[in-house]
Amino acid sequence: MSFATKRLGKELAKVHGNLPPGIALVTAEGFQEWLLDIQVLDANPIYMGQTYRLKFKFSSSYPIEPPEVTFVAGPDRPIPMHPHIYSNGIICLDLLGTQGWSPVQNVESICMSLQSMLTGNTKNERPEGDEQFVASNRRRPRDIDFYYHDNTV
Amino acid sequence: MPSPRHPLGDHSLPYTVHTELDSDDEVSLDTDTITDGDNITASPSSRGLHKSRPPTFNLNLRHTVDLRAITYNGTVDENLVCPICRCPFVDPVLTDCDHVFCRPCIDDALSESQLCPIDRLPLSSDAVSRAPKMIFNQLDALKAKCPCCGVVLARSMLESHLEKYCLEAVVRCPGAECVKLVKRKISGEDCLHYPMVCPDCKETHDEIDMEAHRENSCNERLKACEHCSAEILRCKEEQHEGECPDVVQPCKWAEYGCQDEAKRKDLPLHADECSYKAMGQMAETLKKEIRSLRSEVRTMNETHHLQERRIKFLEGGQRASDRPLDMMDLSLANLPESTGADALESGHEYLLSLLEAQQGRLSQLSAEVSDFQAKSTMMLFNETLPIKNELAELRSTQQVTCMHVRWLMRFRMQENQRRFGGGPGATSNGGSDGGSSSDLSMGRRLSDSLTRDIITKL
Repeated sequence: MSFATKRLGKELAKVHGNLPPGIALVTAEGFQEWLLDIQVLDANPIYMGQTYRLKFKFSSSYPIEPPEVTFVAGPDRPIPMHPHIYSNGIICLDLLGTQGWSPVQNVESICMSLQSMLTGNTKNERPEGDEQFVASNRRRPRDIDFYYHDNTV
Repeated sequence: MPSPRHPLGDHSLPYTVHTELDSDDEVSLDTDTITDGDNITASPSSRGLHKSRPPTFNLNLRHTVDLRAITYNGTVDENLVCPICRCPFVDPVLTDCDHVFCRPCIDDALSESQLCPIDRLPLSSDAVSRAPKMIFNQLDALKAKCPCCGVVLARSMLESHLEKYCLEAVVRCPGAECVKLVKRKISGEDCLHYPMVCPDCKETHDEIDMEAHRENSCNERLKACEHCSAEILRCKEEQHEGECPDVVQPCKWAEYGCQDEAKRKDLPLHADECSYKAMGQMAETLKKEIRSLRSEVRTMNETHHLQERRIKFLEGGQRASDRPLDMMDLSLANLPESTGADALESGHEYLLSLLEAQQGRLSQLSAEVSDFQAKSTMMLFNETLPIKNELAELRSTQQVTCMHVRWLMRFRMQENQRRFGGGPGATSNGGSDGGSSSDLSMGRRLSDSLTRDIITKL
C-alpha cells in the first residue's frame, strides 16, 4: 500500500462524507483516476446553469507531486470558457504546476480553487493561441511549461 | 451520481511481522534443535509424538505497525493530522516556521521543493526539529483499533499488544522444529502442521488447514442428504441430521405412550390429531407443577434449617448472656455474691462504696489544693522578687541623689554665709584645714536634716 494510496484513501473517506456545495464525486475507481463535477454557484453569466467535469490523475508520488487535473468534455459537460483553460480541457493554473503545488493541497481544495477561478472570471474567451496549442500539443499537462504571465484572472 | 465502490476495504495488512529471530531467541532455538534434533528425526511425525517447545520458550514475534494504515476510533483532532499524508502524525517534526509534519512527509516534500508546504517560505531540511513532547503524548493517547482483533487501545500500545497479547496476531508455531506461524489463540495446542488425509477427498492437507479445506475447497465437501436430498457439507452432516426436515422422528408425546412416528416436517400435522394431545399437555402442566412444588419444598426446607439454627444460636446466646449481667452487678456491689442473694445488703455495700469513692476524691482534692497553694506561693515569690530588686535599686539611687542635694545645700549655705557674714566667711575660708573640716561636718549635719525636710516635703 503506497503512500499515495493511503493518502487518497483518507481523502476518499472524507469526500464520501461531505463535499462543499457545487462539488460532487462522480467516480473514484481505484487510486489512479477520479472524476468530479463542479458548478459555479453564483450568478456569473458565463457559467450559469452549467456543470463541468474534472479528471484527476494521480501519480504514485501524490501528494508530493501534483495530480494532473483537466476538464473533460461529455454530452452535457462542456469545457468552460476561460482565458486560462484551453479548449482541450488543459488548465493553466500555477497551483497545478510543480512550482505552485504544495503537498497540503488536496482534491477538495483544487476543486474549490477552480471554482473560484471561474467565479472571478469576466472574459468569455479562450487563451491566446488556443487553436494552435490544441492542434500541436502532445505533451502531458504537467510537462508543459506554462508562463504564468497573467495574475489578473 | 453512481455510487462509487469504496476501495478502502481491500488492502494488505497494516502491520509487518518480523520472523527473523532475535539474538537471545536464536540461542534458545539452537539448543532446542540440538537436544531434540535426534528424537525428531527418529520419531515418526504423528500427532501423539509431536514434540512441542518448552513452555518457557518465547513464541512472540516483533510486529511493526504501519500507523498510517490502521483505523482510529472516532475522529482524530484535525490538529494532530499531518497536512501532507492526512494521517495522525507519525514521528512528528516542527519546522522553523512553526508547522508540524510527519518526518517522512516533510522529507519527501523538501526533496521536491525547498519550501514549506503550508506558507511557502523557504525551508531547508536542517530547519526541521523534533516536535514537542506534548504532541508525542497526544499521539500516543490516540485510540486505535487493533488490526487483528479490533479491540480499541492507545496507539502507543498497539505494537506490544500485537506482540504479546492479541489472540488473532501470529506467533511462532509451538512445534519444536516447526518454523511456521500460527494465530496466538491456537498456539496453546501442539503443532498442527502435520499432514492429514481428508476423509472425504483423500487429499493430504495440514491438520491446521483441514477445517477450512473441508468447508471451502474440498472437491468432495458436498453431499446430498439421504433424507431430504439437499446439498450439505460432509463435515456438517451431524449438525444437519438434527434439523433435516425429512428425518423420521417420534411424536413429542412419545414418553406418555404415543407410538406414532413421522418426518420432522410432518410432526406438526400429527400433533394436531395425536390422541395423546390433551393428556400430554396435561402431563406437561402437571410435571411443571410438580417441579415448582419440589423446588418450593426445597427452599422451605432450607429456611426451616436456617431458622432452627438461629433458634439454637439464640438459646445458646441467652445462656451465655446471663453471666455478663452478673458480672456487671458484681462490679457495682463489689461483692462476690449475686444480686438475688440480699438486695438490702448489696444496697448498703453500694452506699459504702460510694462513700469510699467520695473520700478518695476528697483526699485527692485536698492534695490538689495544697499543690496549688505551693504553686501559687512560688509564683508570688517569683513575681515579688524583681519588685524587691527594683525597690533596692530605687533606694540606692535615692541615697545618691540625697548626697548630691546635701552637697549642693552645703555649697549654697557657704555662699550665703560669705555674702551675709563677709569677714567671718573670708577668715574661715582663709582659715586652717581643720576649721573648714569642722564647717563641713556641721554643714553635712545641716544639709542632712535639710534634705530630709525636702524629701518629706516632696
